[in-house]
Amino acid sequence: MSYQVTIEPTGDIIEVEEGQTILNAALRQGVWLPFACGHGTCATCKCQLVEGEADQGEASPFALLDTERDDGKILACCAIPESDLVIEAEIDVDPDFAGHLVEDYTATVSAIETLSPTIKGLTLALDRDMTFQAGQYINLQLPGIEGTRAFSIANAPSNPGQIELHIREIPDGAATGYIHHKLKVGDNIEFSGPYGQFFVRKSDPKDVLFIAGGSGLSSPESMILDLLESGDERQITLFQGARNGSELYHRERFEQLTEHHSNFTYVPALNEPTEEENWQGFIGFVHEAAAAHFQGKFADHKAYLCGPPLMIDAAINALMQGRLFEKDIHMEKFVTAADGAKEVQRSALFKRI
Amino acid sequence: MSPKKLNLKDKYKLLTRDLDWEFSYEDRKEAFPYEEFEGIKITDWDKWEDPFRLTMESYWKYQAEKEKKLYAIYDAFAQNNGQTNVTDARYVNALKLFLTGVSPGEHAAHLGFAFTGRQMGGIGARVAAQMQSIDELRHIQTQIHAMSHYNKFFDGFDEFNHMHDRLWYLSVPKSFFEDARTAGPFEFMIAIGFSFEYVLTNLLFVPFMSGAAYNGDMATVTFGFSAQSDEARHMTLGLEIIKFLLEQHEDNLPIVQKWLDKWLWRGYRLLTLVAMMMDYMLPQKVMSWQEAWELYFEDAGGALFKDLERYGIKMPDYTDTIKQEKEHLSHQAWWIFYQYTHAAAFHTWTPSAEEMDWLSEKYPDTFDKYYRPRWELAAEMEAKGERFYTTGLPQLCQTCQIPMAFTEMSDPTQVVYRESIYNDERFHFCSDPCKSIFDNEPEKYVNAWLPVHQILQGNCGGGGLDKVIEYYHLEDGVANLDFEGSPDAERWKDWKGVA
Repeated sequence: MSYQVTIEPTGDIIEVEEGQTILNAALRQGVWLPFACGHGTCATCKCQLVEGEADQGEASPFALLDTERDDGKILACCAIPESDLVIEAEIDVDPDFAGHLVEDYTATVSAIETLSPTIKGLTLALDRDMTFQAGQYINLQLPGIEGTRAFSIANAPSNPGQIELHIREIPDGAATGYIHHKLKVGDNIEFSGPYGQFFVRKSDPKDVLFIAGGSGLSSPESMILDLLESGDERQITLFQGARNGSELYHRERFEQLTEHHSNFTYVPALNEPTEEENWQGFIGFVHEAAAAHFQGKFADHKAYLCGPPLMIDAAINALMQGRLFEKDIHMEKFVTAADGAKEVQRSALFKRI
Repeated sequence: MSPKKLNLKDKYKLLTRDLDWEFSYEDRKEAFPYEEFEGIKITDWDKWEDPFRLTMESYWKYQAEKEKKLYAIYDAFAQNNGQTNVTDARYVNALKLFLTGVSPGEHAAHLGFAFTGRQMGGIGARVAAQMQSIDELRHIQTQIHAMSHYNKFFDGFDEFNHMHDRLWYLSVPKSFFEDARTAGPFEFMIAIGFSFEYVLTNLLFVPFMSGAAYNGDMATVTFGFSAQSDEARHMTLGLEIIKFLLEQHEDNLPIVQKWLDKWLWRGYRLLTLVAMMMDYMLPQKVMSWQEAWELYFEDAGGALFKDLERYGIKMPDYTDTIKQEKEHLSHQAWWIFYQYTHAAAFHTWTPSAEEMDWLSEKYPDTFDKYYRPRWELAAEMEAKGERFYTTGLPQLCQTCQIPMAFTEMSDPTQVVYRESIYNDERFHFCSDPCKSIFDNEPEKYVNAWLPVHQILQGNCGGGGLDKVIEYYHLEDGVANLDFEGSPDAERWKDWKGVA
């Protein structure tokens, strides 16, 4: 038994298990809420309950005064939902967030392409157009597989009738295994979307850089195509990381884009190129390629990171050492079930990164 | 979507940043004379992100309601003779230590934040610091009021303010806060706002408040909760100040690192009093000092420093020393007080057989080997009527002012002696970090008011120990000496009907 909690004003939706606190569920599902003590004494996580019922849990009478309880205030770190809820948290809505509505869609698989030995490209034709922001993701429902799986959309929003996904096969992964080995062209699948806060902050005129690893190329590809199609003139640099040449997909596509757009720069990086490939480009991790390219100085940029947790972490470190900070770093972490097991304790120093 | 009323963000903005003014005819530098002298470079105060959005109007409303609630509980506690419900009268000595040692620190913090709340150039930072300044004033007031009830029944509370300025061990917290308050505004914010209020606060408050809860002291638990509801703002302010300084200019990094190295050590040394309180003074123990250190510093602080590493901040290199000292600290500290209890404003005792078993279990590598034999000998001498006191005066560390009693971790039977020579004068230190703090700013620490030096110079009543005790406002045989045989102990027996 679990309850759905909608967090306004961003509209993020989280699933809260029975007996679980809202804060615990939110942080585990990658939704940031302001918090500090985590045990009901400090009131940093105070929210307004808009709809539904919740148990106040262990909230201290000094942190949540009686008058506040009467006004429907709750502490996210203590409150345990007793129904589906809508709460209003003290978080800001991004002015660049378009807020397209999440809806359910049915799609037909129109193409399955092998992008690399581990990554398939999936093209879906939708039953109707879906408006989304470049960088957002969908939740895919697969037959016989419990729960949904999140995949980022790789194409630009200018073609709303279809979506492309890049899907890496995870060892022993039920969903990705199904997609790689069972799914056929012509199959129907269901999904909901669009979700996520990963999109280009176009209102900020600074130059942008993208750091992508593995199938984390999907969102940046969508975002870059969207920027270039709209004639955006800021400097755009893409760093794409892969283990070797065979995993480095869509290279030709980006090389062609550099020929037509003088403001676009493409830097692929391989960390383990094979001898036969005779790789002439950057050898090393993708964050090292970015640091080398910008001589370790990243100030006055907007950075967008997409890929596995280790790559994201290394990239954040490199960017911060180059004096680009949280406010200008946006990311989409591709977390798999295997990553969840080794959760690391984080401090309250950073909100989003 | 057109909001009918202002949202919190806009409201806060109008009531803080919009209240600032442009310096059109006065030199801004003269208005904020301390902003540059520490070497900190601020390029843009607009980048300050408000750590919380609380307008003054709501601040007063909330705080007033908290006070009403708190004082209702104090009244109930007094009417029910709450003092008789604590686990044991020995517990009250932890409160004496708190009122004389910690509460005046709240007042010092109040003054310090009032200073930074005036001197920082950014309006957002100033408003946040001003609120904290008022909070700290509230904290010392509520603490005094909570303790005033105990003062009616126990010795050692009545002269807390006077004692704070004079007693040898109270110069440890006093000099700690004075060191912070005589620094510039940004060092104060890193010292107290970040290092103390964010990194180390749980090690101070949780042991005292849980100690109170475990030992039946509702009044203290309640002021603890009331104060903690303000701590959230203090913690988020501490986080914002360090992020802000590190993001403003790369030249700030080495300065902030030096302050962190200094203040985490200064704070840790101050917490020696908490370590001893947890392991020796609470009749009903909460957890050992070692466990508290592991939970609140090694785990939580470890996660914080891992995040700070992204800015280039490094964990101070003495943390390995602290890791080793955690098994020794409380035992060495309680031994200091046991030897000098004739000059202290609370009672001491040797741990009981049961308590020693608890200490053996919590400190399997050190207690039986180094400390149990000492306590057993002390108890044996006591039984023979030969209670051991040290009548000489101890050498003090020039930096932390704690008597030089901490030992080398490579050989826990050898006391650490470090020294530096400055202007042909020799200064002594209890540890390498205390020495390096001195070496960085010798001109500051040569001015330290060291209680032992002052006694020897005749500035503490003159004459012998009897005069010093008088100067401390201690009545011999009342608030000092062992718990056993004290007026506190006699009254407690009386209440409990024990012969």
